[in-house]
Amino acid sequence: MLEATGVAAGYGRKRIVHGVDLAVGKGEIVLVLGHNGAGKTTLMRTLFGLLPAAEGTIRYEGRDIAGRRPAENVADGIAFIPQGHGIFRTLSVRDNLDLGAFVEPDKSLLPERLDTVFRMFPILKERASQIGGTLSGGQQQMLAIGMALMHAPRLVILDEPSIGLAPNLVDKVMEAIAYINRTMGTTILMVEQNVKYSLPIASRVAVLKTGRKIYDGPPDPLHDRVELMKLF
Amino acid sequence: MDLVLQLLVNGVINGSHYALLGIGFGIIFGPTRITHFAYGPIFAVGAYGCWASVAWLGLPVPAAALAGVLAAAGVGALSYLWLYRPFERRGSSHLVVLIASLGLFITLENLIGIVFGTDTKVVPGLSPDIFLWGPVVVTSIQLWQVAALAGIALALFAFLRRSRHGKALMAMTDNGEMAQIIGIDTVRVSLTAFAVGSAVAAVPAILILLKEGATPHMGFIAVFMAFVAVIVGGIGSFRGAIIGGYAVGIVENIGMWKLPTEWQSTIAFVVLFLILLFKPSGLFGRRVR
Repeated sequence: MLEATGVAAGYGRKRIVHGVDLAVGKGEIVLVLGHNGAGKTTLMRTLFGLLPAAEGTIRYEGRDIAGRRPAENVADGIAFIPQGHGIFRTLSVRDNLDLGAFVEPDKSLLPERLDTVFRMFPILKERASQIGGTLSGGQQQMLAIGMALMHAPRLVILDEPSIGLAPNLVDKVMEAIAYINRTMGTTILMVEQNVKYSLPIASRVAVLKTGRKIYDGPPDPLHDRVELMKLF
Repeated sequence: MDLVLQLLVNGVINGSHYALLGIGFGIIFGPTRITHFAYGPIFAVGAYGCWASVAWLGLPVPAAALAGVLAAAGVGALSYLWLYRPFERRGSSHLVVLIASLGLFITLENLIGIVFGTDTKVVPGLSPDIFLWGPVVVTSIQLWQVAALAGIALALFAFLRRSRHGKALMAMTDNGEMAQIIGIDTVRVSLTAFAVGSAVAAVPAILILLKEGATPHMGFIAVFMAFVAVIVGGIGSFRGAIIGGYAVGIVENIGMWKLPTEWQSTIAFVVLFLILLFKPSGLFGRRVR
């Protein structure tokens, strides 16, 4: 579904990602692990089009998407949930969800999608008129995921959805991600630091170290703490 | 007491003028975060566009006013496309863009002087009605200033809440990167913001032309007061810009009760300093992250 080959990217002259290959198959949950500064966020932002790729090719469903603007990628079924506050903090929960479907040309589909989001996260329905920035961290993350679902993406790229959340909430967020993948067939590409909670839902894992990929394969060997420590 | 009442009415009239300036400036600054000092001479373009349409083309004042609004909207949109957008694409710092804006300010102001001359331009044959309400005196143009704010504020409120472009503008004001992430074309929103903000600025400019005439330098105090209204009210808040404008207008005029008139602009400065010191996010501002 998504195939990146030899992608290099960075900020200004500073190169952070060096020639990374990454393939995400349809229906997979691909987990990207790595320590701080390994280039995980930079890679995700480049794949989504927020940063230009200095080198390499990015193909999505067979089409070359390197150099496309985020707006085009969103319209083509890719959603990106950034690290931290992936919401509009001064707007209401409902306005946020409506904006999530900004690129959807067929507005008649929205009530049903809104229903799906509310069924998945009932707290968002309760707080529909509350200002986004006043929600708790976990609720903000649910809202960010809900916004992405409002335009029914085929691929969701998540950048550390567990950051700053209490362990029980991390578990809930991971459950929601697995549920979306299972019931809607949405392909997931997710960056995480929280190995304990993210590894169980992954179908494949890539590990980055100082901007290079050092592991790509099934998650099972990484359940072994010693194997994992070797990679970090 | 009569004097205080008159000063209060003057405060509301000037406040409406400042609020309009603030709304126009805020609509541009909110989503783009560009400190658009050239807003001043673009304000003047609105007035001169109207004046030229009356004096050179012989249009009636309402049609000429529309021409002035369109001229300002056009120059505003072009200033984004030709000046700010190339800097944006290059990822230039705010300081660079600020200096570019000051450059455009000087260039446009001088261009207006070259094309129209530096003398005061007035619309010929215009005599506003004067109303005496008890001890208070107001003119028809002053009433227009208050009505213009009410009309434009309502129209913009509907635009921001109901239209697709308006919602995109609100979203980008909140968080530019998130706006991109949900698929908003941020270049188009910036262009809309410049066109709409400049069109809004033209309205108070045309009313100043009708009230006291236009000069090439009329934009300086306009952009300054717009800036004060937005900072006092709070960046990113539509309601804040209106209340900021009224706060400055009323405080400035009530100040005239005890202070000589030459202190008027200083009062606006003092209000600005006090707000920056004690409530940097403004009266209704959201903390800028």
